[in-house]
Amino acid sequence: MDPILTTNVLNVVYEVSTLAVVVLGLAVVFGLLGVMNLAHGEFVMIGAYCAFFVQAHDLPFLAAVPLALLVCGFLGLVVERVLVRPLYARPFDTLLATWGLGMLLREAVEAVYGRGFRSVATPLTGSVEVLGADYPAYRLLLTLVSVALVAGLVWWFVRSATGRRIRAVVNNPELAASVGIPVTALARNTFVFGCGLAALSGVMLAPLLPVNPTLGLDFILKSFFVLVVGGLGSLVGLISGSGVIGGVESVVSAVSDRTWGYTTVLVIAILFLWLRPNGLFPRT
Amino acid sequence: MASFLAHSAALVAALAVLPHLVGEFWAYTLALYFLYAIAALGVGLCWGQAGLLPLGQAMFFGLAAYLSGLSLIHFRDSWLLLLLLPGAALAPGLLAWGIGLLVFRGRTLTGPFFAMITLALTLLAFQIANSWNDVTGGFNGLKNIPGLPGLGDFIDLYYVSAAALAACVLGIAWLRRAPAGILWRAVAQNEQRVRFCGFAVQNAKAAVFGISGALAGIGGALYAPQQSLVTPQLCGFILSADLVIWAAVGGRSTLYGPVAGAVLIGILTADLRDEISYWEVILAAIFIVVVLYFRQGLMGFVEPWFERLWRRPAGRGRDGPDRPVAPSEAGFALDDIRVRMGSVSILEGLDLAVDRPGIYCLIGPNGAGKTSCFNAMTGEMPVRGGQIRIFGRDRAGATADSLSRIGVGRKFQAPSLFPEFTVAENFNIGLWGGRARLPDLLRMRSHSWSSAILREAQTRFPFLADEDRRAGDLSHGQRQILELVMVLIAEPRLILLDEPSAGLSQAETREVIEAIRWVGGRLDACTVIVEHDMTFVRELADRVFVLHQGRLLASGTVAEIQADERVRAVYVGASA
Repeated sequence: MDPILTTNVLNVVYEVSTLAVVVLGLAVVFGLLGVMNLAHGEFVMIGAYCAFFVQAHDLPFLAAVPLALLVCGFLGLVVERVLVRPLYARPFDTLLATWGLGMLLREAVEAVYGRGFRSVATPLTGSVEVLGADYPAYRLLLTLVSVALVAGLVWWFVRSATGRRIRAVVNNPELAASVGIPVTALARNTFVFGCGLAALSGVMLAPLLPVNPTLGLDFILKSFFVLVVGGLGSLVGLISGSGVIGGVESVVSAVSDRTWGYTTVLVIAILFLWLRPNGLFPRT
Repeated sequence: MASFLAHSAALVAALAVLPHLVGEFWAYTLALYFLYAIAALGVGLCWGQAGLLPLGQAMFFGLAAYLSGLSLIHFRDSWLLLLLLPGAALAPGLLAWGIGLLVFRGRTLTGPFFAMITLALTLLAFQIANSWNDVTGGFNGLKNIPGLPGLGDFIDLYYVSAAALAACVLGIAWLRRAPAGILWRAVAQNEQRVRFCGFAVQNAKAAVFGISGALAGIGGALYAPQQSLVTPQLCGFILSADLVIWAAVGGRSTLYGPVAGAVLIGILTADLRDEISYWEVILAAIFIVVVLYFRQGLMGFVEPWFERLWRRPAGRGRDGPDRPVAPSEAGFALDDIRVRMGSVSILEGLDLAVDRPGIYCLIGPNGAGKTSCFNAMTGEMPVRGGQIRIFGRDRAGATADSLSRIGVGRKFQAPSLFPEFTVAENFNIGLWGGRARLPDLLRMRSHSWSSAILREAQTRFPFLADEDRRAGDLSHGQRQILELVMVLIAEPRLILLDEPSAGLSQAETREVIEAIRWVGGRLDACTVIVEHDMTFVRELADRVFVLHQGRLLASGTVAEIQADERVRAVYVGASA
């Protein structure tokens, strides 16, 4: 295979799989709680800053993982209790409140670290030869970890008792509560889990991103578009949505520039909203 | 009208005196925040009235600022400026309107979808402004933009901003009270009912978004000459977010809320940003608290008192214009209609025809497809096969609003009306449907339209004469009757009623039966009623259709149906 083509294909796979991890957190929360958490991107951002914090204090990169999970898990716990739970009956206000929360987190991080771009050193330097192309080792690792993460979570969701309970609650919350499933606790845990997943992807992506307070915005928009294109509520939808959005953006950006990549994604999302609002794989 | 003039005079006087009270420096600062306030007014209109949250208004503000800046740089001494500056303010309005027509076409696009599209568009606008160096000056923006010709000091700038603000506030005050404003608030409450009253909801939404874009445009077009600098940040999400915060904290659904928010918070921010390093964080927290607990914002505590001062009592004057001429053919014909939802077949080749005025009842066990039949006829459910003819023409794919305009009225099973509105406002929406043309939607006179059927209904149901009551405060039975009357005053020729007597007392049922008979006769209409109550059916029906498993099982007079063996078989254990 042509090395340039190989590199581009790997780039697309990388883009799609890492995006899928970010969206997974958002989608799980939306699927279960019906809450579109517009601060999801800010949890990714905080994860990335955790990686930066760890580096600034000369700790090993991997220490960022528990740190980010702790910070965002705790934040998620508080947010679920204070913002999300009181607003279950007012979904539009949840949207606003989480958007306000995103703003608050952005501004808070900005007050501490300033607006400037920070860079996080790649923990795994060097490259690996894949089918005749030299590919950065860290990107490759990230792709593998993302695929494993999504696959593992899906497997767990389908097979485990908790996964079954979650599906029961999605299907019929009242009935689930009446057969003794602790709906409130499950909702809380799911929200915290979604935040944790965002934080984890933030840590993973930090070495490859210009870390700054507004980086979450890009993610929340892209994730939202993935849900729009793929359709809410199914794994096939999630992966195909990530494929379309991540794939198109990385291909167009590679051929032309980021503005065009961005524009194309936007146009696709608007076309979907307009012509196929339930996405490729709607929930039945 | 008198109260509107008094309001205008008070506002103009206050704005004229203000610079003398606060001094030149503050007048200059205020001039800037007045421009932001104009854009925030647009957010208030779009979000507080029609319920559509625009997260990307800065894109319109920035676009106008660039257009106006470029016009001033290149054409300052030309008469063309007289066209270009208003054009710079209007262009964003047209753009917003166009976007609205595209995204609202044929669907109920609310909630996150609309907000996220606008957010994405504003991020895109920033990218373009930031990278299109030749035109926008890239990251550094347009510099040294000349001021408006003929204006000198800071006070002049203040008066320009203040005049623009006053004009916009008064324009919006008018729109909010006019039928157009009522319709926007109606869309936010119950979009389906608005469509079934004959209004193309997508046009109403595109219009309100267009106006909000134009308001941002007015602010932006004046910003360029005032600040003499336009940078990409003006299109960015930060200003977009600020506009939403200002509108929310000030009070999104009040008239002065967005202005109060923009001016107070804007000036506080300019003052405190450097002193308190966490000011922006505090502001975001305030926003969250407002969203959680004070949805009416600051002005929500004040404005209701003023509203009460100039609330006009509901009164009825002359009759509204007549409905367009009656269709040449009466009734409808459904031929082999098929409807599926997922894997479930709901209508399986339904044939049903009514060709002369009269009262027809549709009965059948639960799940027979009665309501689905109405849904298929009114475009609420996709039809997979068969033909729908209404008033002699093929109406496949017709929308609820277009059907309502040609004279199809529908009452829903659960009362569908506007609970936040008074009885009068509910009636008005029914009266305007199919009658009001665009100018009527901007005239206050349309509020006092009356109609013979409305007067008759108010004598039959005396509680409807108290038009100042909130519809949401009525009892269930009263709401059923209110919705029925809303449908009837539109004077439809095909009336679809889904269980109109559900939840009514016996006396009310009697009155409803009388009213349906009276209206049907007067309008020479075909009335089709889905009903379970057999006394009701016996009393009213000229003819009965029995549906079973998505097909027509039998039809005939009540006596014929009651004698029909197949019908008995279907209803075994039931009450027939």
